[in-house]
Amino acid sequence: MRHGVFSMNGREWSLLAACAVAIFVLSVASPYFATSGNAATILRNSVELLLVGLGMTLLLAMGGIDVSVGIVMGLAAIGVGRALGADLPVPITALAGPIIGAALGLLTATVVVLGRVPAIVGTLGLLGVYRTAIFVLLGGQWLSGLPTGLTVLLGTTVLGIPIAAYVIALAYLAMWTALRRTPFGLHLLAIGNSEEKARLSGIPVVKVRFITFIVSGALTGLAATFYVANYRNVEMTIGSTLALDAIAAVVLGGTSILGGRCSLIGTVLGVLLLRILQNGLLLVGVPSLWQPVVTGGLLIGVLALEVATSRLSLSQLGWTRK
Amino acid sequence: MTRLRTLQGPALILSLLALLWAIVIVMLLALKPSVFGLSTMTTIIQFSTILALVSLGQAMVIMAGGAGIDLSVGGIVSLSAILTMLFLKLGLPPLLLPVACILIGVLLGLFNGILVTKLDILPLIATLGTFFIYSGLALALTGGAAQSGVPAWLLSWGRGVVLGIPVPFLTIAMPAFAFAGVVILWTAWGRWIHAMGFNERSARLVGIPVDRMRLVLYGLSGALGGAAALISVAWLGSARPNIGQNLELESLTAAMLGGIAITGGRGGVGGVFAAVILLVTLKTGLLQLNVNTVWQVGIVGALLVFVLLADRLSQHWR
Repeated sequence: MRHGVFSMNGREWSLLAACAVAIFVLSVASPYFATSGNAATILRNSVELLLVGLGMTLLLAMGGIDVSVGIVMGLAAIGVGRALGADLPVPITALAGPIIGAALGLLTATVVVLGRVPAIVGTLGLLGVYRTAIFVLLGGQWLSGLPTGLTVLLGTTVLGIPIAAYVIALAYLAMWTALRRTPFGLHLLAIGNSEEKARLSGIPVVKVRFITFIVSGALTGLAATFYVANYRNVEMTIGSTLALDAIAAVVLGGTSILGGRCSLIGTVLGVLLLRILQNGLLLVGVPSLWQPVVTGGLLIGVLALEVATSRLSLSQLGWTRK
Repeated sequence: MTRLRTLQGPALILSLLALLWAIVIVMLLALKPSVFGLSTMTTIIQFSTILALVSLGQAMVIMAGGAGIDLSVGGIVSLSAILTMLFLKLGLPPLLLPVACILIGVLLGLFNGILVTKLDILPLIATLGTFFIYSGLALALTGGAAQSGVPAWLLSWGRGVVLGIPVPFLTIAMPAFAFAGVVILWTAWGRWIHAMGFNERSARLVGIPVDRMRLVLYGLSGALGGAAALISVAWLGSARPNIGQNLELESLTAAMLGGIAITGGRGGVGGVFAAVILLVTLKTGLLQLNVNTVWQVGIVGALLVFVLLADRLSQHWR
C-alpha cells in the first residue's frame, strides 16, 4: 500500500463524512454552531489534542500507551507558566514545554521500557505521582493572569494563517516522514506487530521505544506551550480528560490498539470529529459533565462497530472466527 | 533475613508485607505515639472494606490473564451508588436497596465482560472507555451533588461496630475473601482461573470455557464494586458521585503488592488482603499526621511503580 502525505483509505473517508454529517446536524440544531467565530474556537481548542494525538498515534502503533499525557501536559504547562511569569525571552519560554515534556517522556520510558512494565500500569502509577507533583508545584493555587508574552503564537499570522497551524503542519510532516520514510517507522510498526519478532530480527527495540516515548513527551510539552498561550492560566485539574480524548481520537482514526497499524491523517480527522461533537453538544445545551460519557461511548462504540463489520465481512467470505 | 530467602510463593509475599506493615507502624508510632488506639484500628478497617472488595475483583480479573484488567472499578462503585439512590427516589422499595446496588454492579461488570469476551476489545481500552462512561454518568446524572435519603436501618448496619470491628467488614468483606480463597485454592474454578492466566491457549485446548469464565469474573468484579458502593452508602449516609475516585489506581496497587502477576496466572487472595491493610494503614497514618490527601495518590502511584519494578528485578535475579 502506498502512503502519501495525506492519502486516505475507506476509514478516513468515512470519518470525513462523519465530520460533515456532524457539522450539518449541529448547524441545524444550534444557530450558534455554524459561525466563523465558532469554527475558530473549535480549531483553537483542537491544537493541544492534535499534538498529543500525534504522539499517542506513535505510541499505540508501537503497542504502547500513555495514560499520563494529560498530567504531563499540566507539569509542562507549569514550567511554561513559570518561565512566562519570570519574563524570560519568548523562544526560551516556548521551548520550556517541549523540553520538560521530553524529560518526563524519558522518565516514563525508563520505567516502562527498562523496567519491562506493562505501559498501562506503569503510566497509571506515574500518573498518580505526577498528580501529586502538580499539586505541590502549584501549592494549591492556580497560575492565573499570566503575561501575554506567548500570544504571538496564536495571534501572529503568516500569509493569513496563524503560526500554530504551521507548527502543527510541521509536526505532522515530521511524524509522517519518520513513520513512512525512515527505518525508524518500519521498526516502530514491526515492534507493534510483534515485539519478540522485532527483537529477533535485530531491531533495536529498546532504543526505538525510548525515542517514541520521548517524542510523545515532547509533543505533549509543545501542547502545553500552546495551552498556556491560549488560556494564560494553569488550573489544578488541567488535562484530566486529555488522555481519554487522545486515545479516543487515535482509535477513531483507525490506528490499531494492538499496534502495528496506524493512520496519522485518521488521528487528525478523529481529533476534529471529537472537538466538533464536544463543541456542538455544548451549544445544543448538553452540560459539559456529559463530555467524558460521550467520548467514552464513542470509543467503545467505534471499536464494537469495527468488530461487527469485520466479522460480517469475514463471514460473507465464508470464514469463521478463531 | 536469611530465613526469608528460603520462603516461597504466598508465604514470602505475606512475610514481606508483614515486614513492611511493621515498618510503617513503627515509623508512625515514632512520629506520633498517640496515633494507634482502638478507634484508629476501627477506622482503618472501615476504610479498608471498600478497597478490599474492589481489589479482590481486580485481582481475580488480572489473575485470569488475557491482559485482563478492570480500570472501571471506581466508576462502577460511583455509578452503582448513584443509580441505586436515584431508583430509590423513583419509588424502589427501600428493602430492595442492597440487592439493587449489587445487581447494578453486576450489570456494569457484565457489560465490561461482554466488551472483552464477545467483542474482543482489549481489556485496558474497553475498561478505560467504561471508566469514563460510568464515572462520567455518576457525575452528569447528579450534577456532582451527593444523594441523601438512606434508610435508617441501613445506616445502623453500615456504622455498626462489634468488638471494634465494623459490621460491613464482618458481614461482607470477610465472607467474600474467605469464599474467594476457598474457590481459588480448592475448587476446579480456581484451577481454571490460574490455568487460563498461565497459558490461555493450553487452557482452551483442554476444554476450559475461558470466555465464559472471564465474563463471570468481570461480572464478579462488578458485583464486588456494587457491594463496595452499598457499604459506602450505608456508612456515609449518602451516595457520592466521586466515591470511586482513584480506586482503579489503589486496587491495582493492592493487587500488585499482594503478589498478583500482571500477566496473570500467579497469586492468591491472602496477599491482596494483606496489601489492602498495608495501604490503608499507610493512608490513615498520613491522615493522622496531617499530611495533605493529595500526597496519597502520589505515594500510592509511586508504590505501584516500585512494586512492578521490584517484581521484574526479583525475576531477573532468580
